[in-house]
Formats: sequence, C-alpha cells, structure tokens
Amino acid sequence: MSIEARNITKKFGEFTALKDVDLEVRAGELVALLGPSGSGKTTLLRIIAGLEFPDAGYVLFDGKDISDRSARERNVGFVFQHYALFRHMTVFENIAFGLRVRPRNLRPSHEQIRARIQALLRLVQLEDHAARYPSQLSGGQRQRVALARALAVEPKIMLLDEPFGSLDAKVRIELRRWLRRLHDEIHITSVFVTHDQEEALEVSDRVVVMNEGRIEQVGSPEEVYHKPASAFVYDFLGKVNLFRGRIEGERPGVGASASSLSSDSKQSIVYVRPHSLAIDREPQAGPHYRATIQHINLAGPLAKIEAIAEWGDPVHVEISQERFQELQLKKGDEVFLRPRDIKVFRPDDRG
Amino acid sequence: MTRTASLSSRSVPMSGARTQLESAPVRRLLIAVALIFLGLFLLLPLGMVFASAFRLGVGAYLDAFRDPDTLSAIRLTLLTAAIAVPLNMIFGIAASWAITKFQFIGKGLLITLIDLPFSVSPVVAGLVYVLIFGLQGFLGPWLADHDIKIIFAAPGIVLATIFVTFPFVARELIPLMQSQGNDEEEAALTLGASGWQTFLRVTLPNIKGGLLYGVILCNARAMGEFGAVSVVSGHIRGLTNTMPLHIEILYNEYQYVAAFAVASLLALLALVTLAARSLVEWKSKQRLAGVRLNHGEALEV
Repeated sequence: MSIEARNITKKFGEFTALKDVDLEVRAGELVALLGPSGSGKTTLLRIIAGLEFPDAGYVLFDGKDISDRSARERNVGFVFQHYALFRHMTVFENIAFGLRVRPRNLRPSHEQIRARIQALLRLVQLEDHAARYPSQLSGGQRQRVALARALAVEPKIMLLDEPFGSLDAKVRIELRRWLRRLHDEIHITSVFVTHDQEEALEVSDRVVVMNEGRIEQVGSPEEVYHKPASAFVYDFLGKVNLFRGRIEGERPGVGASASSLSSDSKQSIVYVRPHSLAIDREPQAGPHYRATIQHINLAGPLAKIEAIAEWGDPVHVEISQERFQELQLKKGDEVFLRPRDIKVFRPDDRG
Repeated sequence: MTRTASLSSRSVPMSGARTQLESAPVRRLLIAVALIFLGLFLLLPLGMVFASAFRLGVGAYLDAFRDPDTLSAIRLTLLTAAIAVPLNMIFGIAASWAITKFQFIGKGLLITLIDLPFSVSPVVAGLVYVLIFGLQGFLGPWLADHDIKIIFAAPGIVLATIFVTFPFVARELIPLMQSQGNDEEEAALTLGASGWQTFLRVTLPNIKGGLLYGVILCNARAMGEFGAVSVVSGHIRGLTNTMPLHIEILYNEYQYVAAFAVASLLALLALVTLAARSLVEWKSKQRLAGVRLNHGEALEV
C-alpha cells in the first residue's frame, strides 16, 4: 500500500513541527525519515499512523484520503521507540492482543490465534519466550516482540519510531540487518524514523532527510550521500570540515580548485569530508594549504588526525593506516593538506 | 572523549559503595526515638481502644452491638461508604485519565480543585452543604416545597462524605498514570482496540494496585469521617448517626465499653487498610524481584 502525505502542517502551541510537508512512499518500499531531534520526523510518522492529526494537509493510503480515520481504523502497524509492550501480559498475550480485540465475527478462533502467534514467534526468533513478561526480556527481544505484535494484525503499512534507538550499538546493527532481511521477505510498505545516518543509509531503499519541519531531500542512500541537495544534508550525513569565507582571497586555498566558485564565492561555505583530504610532507601540484598536526587517533580502520589549518581552524583528516605509516606523522608536524573532493554551498542554501 | 568515558564508568562502583555516615550509638538512638514515638503515639492508643472495649469481657463487648441505635449507625456508615466510594472511584479514574492522557485548558485548575477537600477543614465542607441545602440555604425552600430532605438526613451525610473523600483515588492514580505514560494505550489503539477495550485490557490492569490502595484509603476515610458529617447529620439517634458520631454520643453518656467497642471496629478498619497497603507493596516488590532474578538471562539478545 502506498502512502502519500500532502501539505502537512502541524503546530504544537507556538512550535511548528511540520511546515507544509509532502511525502510519497511507494508500495513495498522501506523508507527512512532521517533528521536531528526536533526536525518533525516522529510527528510526521505519528500523523501517518493517525496518532496525531495535522492542522492542515491530507494523508492518503493507495490514493484514498484517510485523514479522518482514527489510528484504530487505519490498519497500520506501529512500533514505538520504547516498545510500549503491555507490561502485565506475556509475550504471547502481547502478540495476540490485536487479534483478541477484534469484533467477534472477525476474530480468529483460539486455534487460529495460537497458530498465528507461533508463526510470528518463529519469525522473530522468540519461540522459547512466549510465556515471559516484557520485564524479563532484553531490549532487542522486546523490540522483536513489538514488531511481532504489530505484524499480528496483518497491517498494510509498518511504521517504526526510532526502532533501534534504545539498544546498544552491537544489538542495533544486528537488529537493523535483520529488519532489512525481514522486509525483503514480506515486502510490507515501511517507514522508520531515525536520527542515525548510518542506520538510514544502510537499511532503507530511500532516505527522507528532514530538518526544522521540512524535507531537505528525498533519494536513495547513494543519492543523498553523494549528491546532497543542501548544505544541511551534506553536514548531517557524515563528518565534514567547514571552511567559511576564506576561500579565494590571497591564498591559493581550497577555492582555487573549485570551478564552481564564482565572484560571490567569498560568502560561500566549502565542505570537505575528512577522508577527502590528503596529507603530504611536501607541497604537491594543485591547491593545498599548510597545517599543524595536533592530535592523532589510530584506534579504528583509519588514522584520524586533527590538524590546525594555517588560519587557525581545526581540520579533521582521515587517511589509511598504511599512508600514515608511510608519512611517519607526529604531533606538531607541519604538513600540507590537499582537498580531493569538495562541495560548495552558498549560505542561503542552508535552509 | 574516550578518557572521560572510562573515568566516569570507573567512578560508578565507587559512588555505589555505601559509606557508614553515623556511628553505632547515634544509629541506635535514632531508631529508639522513632520506635518510642511510634509506640507512644500510635500503638499505645490503638491498644487502649481494644483494651477498653474488652475491659468487661467479650460478653459486654458483644452486647454493645445488640443496641439498635448502634446497629443503625453501622448500617448508615456502610451505606454511606457504599455510595461514596464507588462514586469517587469513578470520578478518580476519570479525573486522572483526563489529567494524564489529554491536554486541555483548565487542567492546572482541575488538579488544584481535586486537592481542595484536603485543604479545607471538614467542618467548613459540612457548613457549605448546610448553606446550600439547609432550610435557610440556597436551595432550602425549593427542597422543602418538594419534600426532599438532604440536611439532617442520609443524603446530606453521603454528600459531605463524597466531598471529603473526593481526592483519595485521583491522588493515588495521577502520579502512577503519569509515570506510565501513554504509549501502551496508543499501542492498543493502533492494534485496533476500542477506547473501552483499551481501558479494560491495558489501563486498568496497569493501575489496579494503585486503584486498590486509593479505594481502601477512600473507604477508611468515608467510614471514619467525623467533622463534615457531624455538621450535616443533626445527630438523630437511630436515623442520622454514623459510627464516629455514635461513638461520641456513647462516650459522652459514659458508656465506655460500648463506645470503645464501636471504635474498635473503626480501628480494625485502619489495620485492614495497613495490611492491604503492605500487601500491595509486597506484591509490586515481588514483581521487581522477579525482574531482577531474570536480569542475568535478560542480557542476551
């Protein structure tokens, strides 16, 4: 089932959570709503679910306006950030809840319910935990129960609010890969909210980047990462160095290499990812500038180096461990930084 | 960054270690003071109630309950509680539901108003009802014309009792429901449950401990209320006397055994209340212990 949100505006008192937002999710897609806290992503998700109602705008499922329907009538599976499992019910009863509250004529028989819950428990790999209470489960297990509970009513749409937000790093990565595989199996239209760019880029078919109640960009993970539509997207999707207003002037700095720089380039902001900077002992052809190494962190696959550029700003650089060995860098060394790939945004691009 | 993180994690067990702040004599003194105070002001009077009631033996104690006026007082008290407690339970659930689950204008005012009966002297509460329903009161003449008796009759007693016991259930439930939040209700909603199903299957089981305790407290106060009821009752023997009022009359007439016998019933109620409270707390602690017991295996993914 496809989802469409049109011209959604939502205010909470003085605070505008969503400003005239349009969103389209195709049937069977797994879409990530990505943004910092306060960007309106959760509000948008809750509006799609019918847990919140917009001040203006419509929500359409398969082209049909369902704006007036309550959450109860939308047949949407919702997974809450803190799971919201029924604490006084066992895992089995939690998952069975949606089936048990159906009107008698639509309610499956006891045997049917039992069979269905067993299948779902198998799906989320919790067959042995049916009799446990939520308080006896780990975070990852609770999350899977929440997922199974939402799936039990056979929703046409799955909405997940920060599904891995309260889990520790390792479990989070395992669970999100599992979710991706699950989605590939059951192909249910899904939208999930996250503030973790890595999660969004790894799991989703398309990423919707949100900021301050607006959508900044919609695109595949490759698109938003390599062709960011705005400075915000570029900034949000990874570590980045910002160079402001020092671009051309007297120094043949970063700006000289950027063909896109025009006369107003003085007001521009240049963005360079840490791994797009090369370090040399001697100045090389092309643009480069001087820096002093201040801090070196070798834990991890890359050598992370913090240097102070000649104009006094800190610059983050990431180079391979091999290259680092080759250069024999030490704290306090004078080096030359060479940008290989830069991105220029005028300040008014920044939303 | 990494350094501060490792430092802070190391400091956790240190801050968790208990330090003995007071020396042993000071500790013993503090405990002794608390126990003596408790014994002197709570246990001794409570014991005296039962001792006085049984002073002339079990026979005299039981005789006290053969008096028709006493029986009528007990009946009226039970009737009052039977009306006031369910009403306040419904009101308490509704008010705490509204306050914790919705945003609306006047919410702050509602919270303040719920506490009003606690801050107003019961005598004032009683007088208010006299001023409204009494013969010289606001609705008095109209009521008299229609031959409806509220003041100096059972309805007035019930009304005054409702007023006084108004906050108990809501006060117990509001913090509980606030701490539990809205998530489970929303989850039930998205799973297709109706409002009523959500209440019965999700909200009610979650609040039942607090609700039970609130109802017990409400009941204890409803049966024990003196001030407000005294103002509206009129003290008509065998008709408008509740247990506390009847105890006072018996006492003033030097019928000590009878007075303390009835009083022992009310005191018994207090003990039941305490026991129920301990039970509720013990149960919730057990649930917590169950969680902790399973914590080890809960760590697996």
